Amino acid sequence: MEFLDLTIRELHNELLKKTVTPLDLVKEAILRAKADNNNAFEYIMEKEALDLAIKLKEPEADNIFWGIPFVIKDNFSTKDVPTTASSNILNGYVPVFDATVVRKLMDAKAIPIAKTTLDELAMGGSGTTGHLGTTFNPYDKQHENIIGGSSCGSAASVAASIVPFALGSDTGDSVRKPASYAGLVGFKPTWGRISRLGLFPFATSLDHVGYFTRSVFDAALLLNLLAGRDLEDSTSSDVPVDDYTKLLNTDIKGVKIAIIKEIVDSIYDKSINAAFQKTIASLKIRGAKVEYVSIDRKLLGALFPTYVVISCAEATSNNANLDGIKFGPYHQGNTYEEVMNKARSKGFSELIKRRFVIGSFCLMRENQEVLFLRAQKVRKMIVEKVNDIFKDYDAIFLPASPTTAPKLGEASDRLSDEYLIADNHMVVGNFGGFPSITLPLGFKKNLPFGGNLTAKPFNEAKLLQIANVIEDITGFYNLSVRNKKI
Amino acid sequence: MKEINKIVLKDAAKRLLFDMSEEEYDTLLNEFDVVIKQMELIGQIEGVDDYEPMTFPFDCATKYLRDDIPTKPLSKEEALRNAKNKSAGQIKLPKVVG
Repeated sequence: MEFLDLTIRELHNELLKKTVTPLDLVKEAILRAKADNNNAFEYIMEKEALDLAIKLKEPEADNIFWGIPFVIKDNFSTKDVPTTASSNILNGYVPVFDATVVRKLMDAKAIPIAKTTLDELAMGGSGTTGHLGTTFNPYDKQHENIIGGSSCGSAASVAASIVPFALGSDTGDSVRKPASYAGLVGFKPTWGRISRLGLFPFATSLDHVGYFTRSVFDAALLLNLLAGRDLEDSTSSDVPVDDYTKLLNTDIKGVKIAIIKEIVDSIYDKSINAAFQKTIASLKIRGAKVEYVSIDRKLLGALFPTYVVISCAEATSNNANLDGIKFGPYHQGNTYEEVMNKARSKGFSELIKRRFVIGSFCLMRENQEVLFLRAQKVRKMIVEKVNDIFKDYDAIFLPASPTTAPKLGEASDRLSDEYLIADNHMVVGNFGGFPSITLPLGFKKNLPFGGNLTAKPFNEAKLLQIANVIEDITGFYNLSVRNKKI
Repeated sequence: MKEINKIVLKDAAKRLLFDMSEEEYDTLLNEFDVVIKQMELIGQIEGVDDYEPMTFPFDCATKYLRDDIPTKPLSKEEALRNAKNKSAGQIKLPKVVG
């Protein structure tokens, strides 16, 4: 096993023993990034990363991130490093400040080595719509299956062991779904738990910072570093930051876990159902109380359309600043409207324009009451139902997706329960701002699939405790294409 | 709900300040067939109008003012760095007034 195949915690121990240096790690990570054939990268920060690594000489025992390489989804601002959100409208844009999460990691002397691809402006779930084309799944050498999105390049980087962790963002399930398809831990903590300053907004009421790791312990370590109030983000929370590793490796006797029956009933894949039931049985053996609960099927069927209405509507205003004037390619015109119209017509892909038109349609005066406001009411209704569950249970456990990574171009029936409920239930985590984590549950035909745990807001320590036990049950710790366990 | 047709879609695109091709409008019209059916599911939820619209996951009010500590603003060079069309330290646009 080579060093980059280790987790953050394991790498830290090697750095302390001086069996490897940050410079060795960064050189190897850049070599692997350059050899990547999954289209994971927008920009490889070779010079920047080497300059940082060469300065790190004496390991810091109390700083677990010292010298650890990582990658950043390209919708986070990075000072002096090109940032496009995988959209042509931001070609050539070079931010003048670092996102707070990037700054925190760099202050801890972690080393960013690349910006990663995403679905254009993070508005997609397939990993196929960025301006550099499709990002592929490292588990599929034939490039027939997607990795999912929108944080596709970040997921591919960690699954291919190019880095031990990666920053992503999650508005619907954009970290947690690709984590399922790529055999990773994908975590989005509570809304407001991590500052969003410098994350390009897509739908402000749903956007979360998230990240990929290859172990639950690493996910807890990252939250210890990234959580906390940021005076420059008024939506960040001042709830005190916990030590998120404190409950790991403690027993889960008496922990109460809910399974939503209607969601499980919408999943037809036998391998996924079998792995899920096997995990439940093991959780019970370890002392957890696992019970089925119900939510009205009609309400669950409205999850995805509610998400579409709210996210597309919010996106239209959040992206109004992309005008080709202050940044992005400039196009000549006789009026400023013409300048903007040309920039936006040429800069946005057709898919993004369609999303914006859907959002604009929902906000039209005649539609606001029946579409936008009603979607916000459905959101409230769903969140209240889920909060009711959390009165009696510590977490909700479900399969993260109804299938392994779909084939490219594979169409699903968009009015079926499998699509509306099973494939999109993780938006609940965004509706209520609940902390939610995906982790590997099994494999089918060499492709991974995951389970998803969700808890009430700011209950990350408990969520990670249960996730850690599931990781112990499955044995899928530090999974990657180089460390396969199938 | 407002009826969907190409005129409505073109009006939306115009408000959003971009153009689309006729083929793209056709694709969008087809997409709306499914989108509308999905959106109708929202209207089928009984008792939904008894709920208040939810605009954020939960309240996170900022109840204090920051201390008035001076910080260094962006320099003019940094502020203008990403603008492609500029002149005399300002972003340049076509004339608005004759």
